[in-house]
Amino acid sequence: MPNVKISLRQLTIITALFMIGTAILIVPSALAVKAKQDAWIAALIGIGIGSLILALQLLLSRLYPDMNLVQISEKLLGKWLGKSVCFLLLLILFLGGPVAVLQEIGTFLTVQIMPETPIQAIIILFGAIVLMGVRLGLEVLARSAELLFPWFLLLFLSLSILLFSQVKWENALPILEQGPGPLIPAVCSFISIVYLPNMILLMIFPASVNRQSEANKAVFIGSLIGSLILLLIVILSILVLGPTITEKTMYPSYLLAQKINIGNFLQRIEVIMAVMWFITLFFRISFYFYATVAGYCQIFNIKNIQPLVIPLGWILTTLAVFIYPNVMFEHNWEARTWTPFSFIFGLLFPLLLLGLHGIRKIRSKGAPKKSRFPE
Amino acid sequence: MKRILGLLLLTLAASFLLSGCWNRRELNELGIAVAAGVDKVGDKYRLSVQIAIPGQVASKKVGSPQAPATLFTSEGDTLFEAARRMSQSSPRKIYFAHLRMFIIGESLARQGIAEVLDLLFRDHEFRTDFYFAVSKENTAEETLKIMTPIETIPANKLFTSLQTSEKIWSPTKAVTLDELINDLSSKGKHPVLTGLEIRGDKNIGEKKINVENIYTPSHLVYSGFAVFKSDRLIGWLNEKESRGYRLILGDVKSSVNHVKCRDQGKVVLETLRTSAKVKGSMVKSRPHINIRFSAEGNVGSVECSGLDLTKPETIQKLETEMEQMTVRLIETVIQKVQTEYKVDIFGFGEAIRRSNPKAWKSMKEDWDERYFPNLPVHIQVDYHIRRTGTISDSFLNEIRETR
Repeated sequence: MPNVKISLRQLTIITALFMIGTAILIVPSALAVKAKQDAWIAALIGIGIGSLILALQLLLSRLYPDMNLVQISEKLLGKWLGKSVCFLLLLILFLGGPVAVLQEIGTFLTVQIMPETPIQAIIILFGAIVLMGVRLGLEVLARSAELLFPWFLLLFLSLSILLFSQVKWENALPILEQGPGPLIPAVCSFISIVYLPNMILLMIFPASVNRQSEANKAVFIGSLIGSLILLLIVILSILVLGPTITEKTMYPSYLLAQKINIGNFLQRIEVIMAVMWFITLFFRISFYFYATVAGYCQIFNIKNIQPLVIPLGWILTTLAVFIYPNVMFEHNWEARTWTPFSFIFGLLFPLLLLGLHGIRKIRSKGAPKKSRFPE
Repeated sequence: MKRILGLLLLTLAASFLLSGCWNRRELNELGIAVAAGVDKVGDKYRLSVQIAIPGQVASKKVGSPQAPATLFTSEGDTLFEAARRMSQSSPRKIYFAHLRMFIIGESLARQGIAEVLDLLFRDHEFRTDFYFAVSKENTAEETLKIMTPIETIPANKLFTSLQTSEKIWSPTKAVTLDELINDLSSKGKHPVLTGLEIRGDKNIGEKKINVENIYTPSHLVYSGFAVFKSDRLIGWLNEKESRGYRLILGDVKSSVNHVKCRDQGKVVLETLRTSAKVKGSMVKSRPHINIRFSAEGNVGSVECSGLDLTKPETIQKLETEMEQMTVRLIETVIQKVQTEYKVDIFGFGEAIRRSNPKAWKSMKEDWDERYFPNLPVHIQVDYHIRRTGTISDSFLNEIRETR
């Protein structure tokens, strides 16, 4: 791996932007479908459970501070088993991660803004920018994230403030109408969209961070920023649009931006607001892609990721065009395949690695004890 | 050399990629729809779209031959087909993103509006910020043909007039698409839409003569609410009932009402702020509704003599009178809807659902038939008079003494 270092603040921003990613567009409706007006409770619980899972993932990086995910699993599972498990996981992650997000931005633009533009045009243009970013490397991506994050925050805060006058508190009532049952699938989808894919960030940190000891804290703060922003967008959707509209629309946050109307004067600014989603989606795709490419390099012992970027980028863009035959297939795939997979990748996999680590530790602890016996 | 070649290629590629997108729409290629109306003719939809003519709105020359807006109509088995069929008569592609008014013909409203709304909600061009109205007695098409003074584009007149009357008078309500869909999909609230009437001779109203006189012989007037049973219109509220309805919603910003003054004249009170809290509760397994209405107002005008406004007791008396009047207004509309229409347009079911979701679950299926018509509603009104305008006691008192 090339020796690149990013700062802690950059790591925080990367984590936040990566988590917000596509979630800011789809999370409100994904939660409202199941939990209705209690979507915000589901998000809140999701943040709690998600933070625990994140802590679990971070524990791995604390135990092996100078290794990335593939190296850790190679060490714990053995060289060949570790490589092949990682290869398979990264393969599916590649389909469900960068490819799906890239096609999501194509769908978003063709559904909401430019319905007659072929999706290829959008995907190729956006894919080209992602390729450029990833080819230039982690440092460039991290710095551009640092530059663009204030703009994202500015847009997001103006969206929230401008909508505040349209909040209807009774939309959130009654709390827990159908009991806590429907919250469970909603919490699951929140975690699987927002928290579990964070595992892939272990490809980037702590190995590439300049102050490794504080990297975990930086990631944690980033995840809190990201999830609070998502919680806020869920609350806004429920309070402004109501649960029915939130549930039925594809992109509730875009509808929220459409609702902005201050005195019949400050209105129709949703396309400006869409810049916000371009920023977060760009970083979601880029870091997903960067991490998978870096993972493959590690698996095949390639020193430099640059030669792989372009060929894998071709695959990324072409797949993004036709991976889903239609929108409903995509929704089904996300619910039935992606959610279980993300639990395997983000929860079971680190648990397995931690378990193996534990077993090793017990064994190695047993060994020195024996050696002490002769005294 | 390589660098220059690369740059050249880049500019070439950029000129292809950045020159525009597939979906470009030049302003001069669009017909900007400002109002749309739907009627049902047989089993076909008849769509009428009012399109602004930008040149006519901006031009200062007097007596230009063209009207500031034009109306295209087309029919189709579905609304979407009708909208696209319009391209056969319209010279430009019709662009709906700037729609301000959506008028539903009464005949269509009686048959159900839900099918029409799906297109508006699904299509990306329609936003959610236009207002709905039901054209009373006339078709939507006839309504959209009337020429209007001051606001030369009728759709703008309809839009601003609905906004203003909602704000300062109160028998109308500007309903947007998302509110309407929320009401339609809720089991505890049925939607209402403001009615729209043509007053006067509609045949003159269609001609330019209508706006050439100081008094326009025919004009568009909002009047009362259309009561819907889910998506079908079943009746109308008159102005008084409509105002009572708005009071229950508690979103009245300003309004005026009069109360009797010493049995011979009237005192007008200008309401400035209102709030209404509708709370549902279950008493002995029967649903009850409590409405707490509070308002603040000023004395707007005194049309009687002998009223001593300098005494605080008089103000108190006026407050009590106003409170009784408000209770009557609210009771009248509730009683009418409970006995005549038997649909919960007030959101009382929603109030029960919010306060007691468990009880609501067992009642929601026959809420309108069984529970709503006999629902006890307790009204508590709190009216405060703060000021008396720019004068204190009326000069009418002096006139009576010298007479």
